[in-house]
Amino acid sequence: MKSWHRYAITVVGGLAVGLGAAWALTGGGLTNGAIANGPWTTSLGFGTKATDPITRAMVARAGLLALPAKETVYWSAKSDAAGAKLDGNCRYRLSGKPLDARWWSVTIYDEAGYLVANPADIWSVNGANVAIDAKGEWRVAISPTRPADGAWLPGTKGQPFHLTLRMYNPGQAFRADPAKAVLPQIVKEGC
Amino acid sequence: MRNWLGPLAFGLILAAATAWVAIGAIPYGLMNVAMERLGQAGVNTMSYGNLANPNRQPVVRPSPDLAYSSCPYDLSVGPLAIDVTPVPGRYSSLSIFDAATDVIFVRNDVEAVGKPFRIVLAREGQAVPAGAEVVRANHDRGIALIRLLLKDPKEIGGLDAVRRQSSCATVTKLK
Repeated sequence: MKSWHRYAITVVGGLAVGLGAAWALTGGGLTNGAIANGPWTTSLGFGTKATDPITRAMVARAGLLALPAKETVYWSAKSDAAGAKLDGNCRYRLSGKPLDARWWSVTIYDEAGYLVANPADIWSVNGANVAIDAKGEWRVAISPTRPADGAWLPGTKGQPFHLTLRMYNPGQAFRADPAKAVLPQIVKEGC
Repeated sequence: MRNWLGPLAFGLILAAATAWVAIGAIPYGLMNVAMERLGQAGVNTMSYGNLANPNRQPVVRPSPDLAYSSCPYDLSVGPLAIDVTPVPGRYSSLSIFDAATDVIFVRNDVEAVGKPFRIVLAREGQAVPAGAEVVRANHDRGIALIRLLLKDPKEIGGLDAVRRQSSCATVTKLK
């Protein structure tokens, strides 16, 4: 084999490895943040000038046009409270107390971060449309079939899913220590 | 095997350089795609997008609770004036993203005290109207985005006329 053949092979290989590495390094989605709170993770560096190139590319791929943390904190969950992957075949109880923010919502996406068609045309719940019970808590069922009563976020059979919790204008107490904030629980009830 | 040491070292350096360049290029590439998808009305014009649903998802992770109005901009033809009219009593915000996807300006309805406001977006050195509130950008291109929160998707019917009062246009007069 001639020398230039060897260089040609490593040029092609180097380009392929470099592009693959770039794609892999920036594919962590919004869940690769620095802050974890139960199954939820976030980073307070989204959408700011201080963000490093890898985080910027990661956010561009997973949450393009995301707002900075003062405006909105984006939490992402791929698993339930027990650490199991969120599964569209199963029933979950999503519950919590009203969050320390001017407005909040939880949206269900597929693994790539897109909305999936469902017969009810429901993809999110928010602070204005969940009922608060006598204990001051709200509760939502995530399941492929509509529950007998209560709020519902449709899952899709045969598809894993992700949840994104948005907190608009989070309170000062929350921003002081988001890792210890009380966030919604995601508990699997059956499959 | 020794014949491969040089080519392999070169390949590794090339791989690292390629990764670095690609990581830097990803935000710019995706911003171009977003400008294309969000700018139904064209550049330097506000597009009042329909609510996100499985058939309309111009960007990843769209919020179905928000009515997005977007102004893909190109400052190479001059500064851009963005006029925003908040909707009383509910969250709305103007955010301006540059070509690198960085946020260079955000103002919500509370910070605006619920009142309409105008921002002039310009490159360094571009002449702007006297007295204007100016935001300077390091890139020609990007997206100005207005988010309006809906308690229920059905609200869009009643709020559409108000959100259409927000607009953007290239500045043609400096006085």
